[in-house]
Amino acid sequence: MINILLAGVGGQGTVLAAKVLAQAALEKGWQVRTAETIGMAQRGGNVVSHVRMGSDGEEVLAPLVAEGTADVIVAFEPAEAARVLPYLAPAGVLVTATTPLQPVTAALAKHAYRAEEIVGNIAASLEGSQATFVPVDDAALCSEVGGRKALNTLMLASALSLGRIPLSLDDLRSAVRACVKPRFVDLNLQAIEVAAARA
Amino acid sequence: MEILVDLFGSGAPNCNEFYSFSGSSPVRLFVPACRPPLPFDLFCSPCCSSGAAASTAAEWVGTAFSFRRRRRPGKLRYHDPTNCEDGGLMAKKLLMGNEAFAHAALEAGVRVVAGYPGTPSSELVETVAALHADGSAEGVHVEWSTNEKAALELLAGAAYAGARVLFTCKQVGLNVASDALMSLNYVGVKGGTVLFVADDPGPISSQTEQDTRRFASFAKVPVLDPATPDQGFQMMQAAFDLSERYGTPVIVRPTTRICHASTFFDVAESTQARPVPPEGFERDPRWVIFPRRSFEAHGEINDRLSAIAADFANDPQFAAFNPTFRGGGVEGAQASGASDDLPRFGIVAGGVSAAYVLEALRMLETHAAAAGKSLPLYAFWQVGTVFPFPRDKAMRFLRDVSGSVIVFEELDHVLEDELLATIGAAASDPAAPRPRIRGKLDGTTRDRGENSVEDALVRLATFLEVPELAGLPKKAAAEAACAVDACAGGSRFAYQAPDDAPLPVRPPVLCAGCPHRGSFYAVKRALGKTPAVLCGDIGCYTLGNAMPLDAVDTCLCMGAGITMAQGFSVAEPGKKALAFVGDSTFFASAMTGIANAAYNGHDVTFCILDNATTAMTGSQPHPGTGVTLMGERRRPLSIPRVLEALGIERIVAANPLDLQASIDAVREAVAFEGPSAVIFTSPCVQLFAPSARAAIDVDACRGCKKCITEIGCPGIGFNADVRGPKSGERGQAFVDAGLCNGCGLCVQVCPFDAISVGDR
Repeated sequence: MINILLAGVGGQGTVLAAKVLAQAALEKGWQVRTAETIGMAQRGGNVVSHVRMGSDGEEVLAPLVAEGTADVIVAFEPAEAARVLPYLAPAGVLVTATTPLQPVTAALAKHAYRAEEIVGNIAASLEGSQATFVPVDDAALCSEVGGRKALNTLMLASALSLGRIPLSLDDLRSAVRACVKPRFVDLNLQAIEVAAARA
Repeated sequence: MEILVDLFGSGAPNCNEFYSFSGSSPVRLFVPACRPPLPFDLFCSPCCSSGAAASTAAEWVGTAFSFRRRRRPGKLRYHDPTNCEDGGLMAKKLLMGNEAFAHAALEAGVRVVAGYPGTPSSELVETVAALHADGSAEGVHVEWSTNEKAALELLAGAAYAGARVLFTCKQVGLNVASDALMSLNYVGVKGGTVLFVADDPGPISSQTEQDTRRFASFAKVPVLDPATPDQGFQMMQAAFDLSERYGTPVIVRPTTRICHASTFFDVAESTQARPVPPEGFERDPRWVIFPRRSFEAHGEINDRLSAIAADFANDPQFAAFNPTFRGGGVEGAQASGASDDLPRFGIVAGGVSAAYVLEALRMLETHAAAAGKSLPLYAFWQVGTVFPFPRDKAMRFLRDVSGSVIVFEELDHVLEDELLATIGAAASDPAAPRPRIRGKLDGTTRDRGENSVEDALVRLATFLEVPELAGLPKKAAAEAACAVDACAGGSRFAYQAPDDAPLPVRPPVLCAGCPHRGSFYAVKRALGKTPAVLCGDIGCYTLGNAMPLDAVDTCLCMGAGITMAQGFSVAEPGKKALAFVGDSTFFASAMTGIANAAYNGHDVTFCILDNATTAMTGSQPHPGTGVTLMGERRRPLSIPRVLEALGIERIVAANPLDLQASIDAVREAVAFEGPSAVIFTSPCVQLFAPSARAAIDVDACRGCKKCITEIGCPGIGFNADVRGPKSGERGQAFVDAGLCNGCGLCVQVCPFDAISVGDR
């Protein structure tokens, strides 16, 4: 069983990323279930997608990843990475983009929202554990890709490059071709190349 | 164009081989008559339906077949049902539960689908509309009705004529349709009538945690409760059969985690609605509800519920929705002292809780195995057919449990009550089963909100007396999850942040540029210190409650603000009473309340927030938009003309993005004695691509934050590090170019002319 959690902010492509992973699992012949938080989560709200794959042929029953059992967490925003930390398995991998998205409440808050502080706090929270923490300089990588539109695929590629789950970048490429709108396929494939080159 | 399909030559096609064609002229298909008929079918999509495709080979061979004109390229598929490895004309698709249920109903031949949007139910109707629009769902009529009551009554008519019909709503929507449902069950139906009612444990996006299973028993209507989207797919189809077998409406009740979970489904590429039987609606006294007839019907309902309960227990089609099994090891049974191999423990679960329980049991079993042990023997039952409760099945299950039974279900203790009643009804029999029932009533399981794998794990560990966890019933669920998870080596992670720097929260807010912001702000400015009560309603505009707008004092249910304001005006005449209502809610349930204000002469002001869509649930059309789900455009219903017709004498219109004009409009309406209305008209920002955006003049911004503290637009942030000539050390506001749509409200709020709107 592979449990993956995707965390981001509305508009970052969290749900599409879950579809891409599901497609990759299907092509492996695994059973897969995904679930997402929708409803009150409007644009600007946080979005969490759960992806569960029966990678050893086992049946996937519950649609949601239980706390403490996510093998991989891919976060598209650092505060969202911090928010889903309780889901990480003891030896799990947390990959997060480091570019912050300021919520309106941060503009009113006394303490400014600083991404580097949050990334530092996550690292401190995981210190001494078996978990792996990989902050990704998404700003630099996205400028290489030529925009932030493929951030979701870029982050998936960065996560898969770590080799923790048995899905390859080729599996990802194939799933991207099947799921992404044709005019954005090249951009997303380019994002995979950029992430692979850095890994 | 003409396609020659050489089915019998040397290049005989493989099953499910495609022939693609394009262009907009009619296509002629020619199948040469050179062989005797074989058992194959030809299917063409999207231009012709599976109904036409049901033609046998004999009809196709040697004939030229003209397809009717179609809008887009199509494909022809050869299918040999006797030699097909993949089950035929099916496509594998990743579908959300609600999307899959739409496919299931269409495959069952549903002819009329109607509902009113509401999370978590809305995607079903939208999926039917999309499949109708792309030509793959033939013969179906689908609509958003003005409200749930209208939808169910429309469907009742279609079902009396013999059509298969599907109703959709969220749990509170059934309250609106309940008047129709209660009577409809007495009258009965001819065509299969399924009510898809989505419950929302949590609640995640609802007013109540009401339980539709309870509603079903109150209305004496059968209800099916899926544990997974896959099972829901099967239930949806079985529900139509059940409905027609007994002439009863049937409810399928999934919950949010079923509606919004996705998995891969094999679905038919095209569907054809079942035709209405040739005789259609047949006049008969039974269609007219009268007290005397209702007395007879009540007896018929009681009889059919007994028969259905027996079907649920014994008919394979429905008994499959009530799976039972035994788990745990022999050593466990011996260790716990059970005799005759009867499990000491029973576990009963309903809905998604069944999936949670099975996951938790798997984790516990892995944990036990790692310690070289096994779980004690237990019996498990998922109750998928909740009402009428399959009491035969329950008796068989309970007889098999010697100790106690734990019940996992969300919302109400429906299954728990039924098990208690089953035991109670047999109490006089000395041989009756007497396991103790544990659940919500005795605090063994959660009494509200959602269940989860984590929660089930801890409770099951205690219930099954798993030694390592038995002493820890009060421990945090996740801690225990880690303790029993095979790969666990420590406790769950928590983000450790300094007390003065908590994580930024992202509460739902009105979008950047949302016209409702201007409406609320204008009302607040117009009222100033005038004492007033502001009644809100259901929709995005409930968010007007949030700081800094703080402009919604009440919210009860659809349309209630309109009438509640009248109650305030009667009880506290010294205060102004205003009600906000959206355009979709206006048509759904505000009009009778408005008529009441005119009739009884209440001094209230209605603020109609017309953003030209049903924004909260995903931009569905409504009567005021004139667009229907079938793609037709009609003349939109006019809100001002409706208000006028309902007797509102002072109606003022305003653009909510023009602040001063809006303030003036509110003042005029509020000053009017008697019911008045302000119609704020500006489209939802989700409906168009923004062409402009605001910019802050760094030389003029003084860092006063008024643009933030007055209107709270997410498109404006504050950067404490920016320095400008007028802002000193205070920092400055900045515009988030990705969110701003240039609505210009902030321009009108800034006291220093530091904001302007320009092209994007």
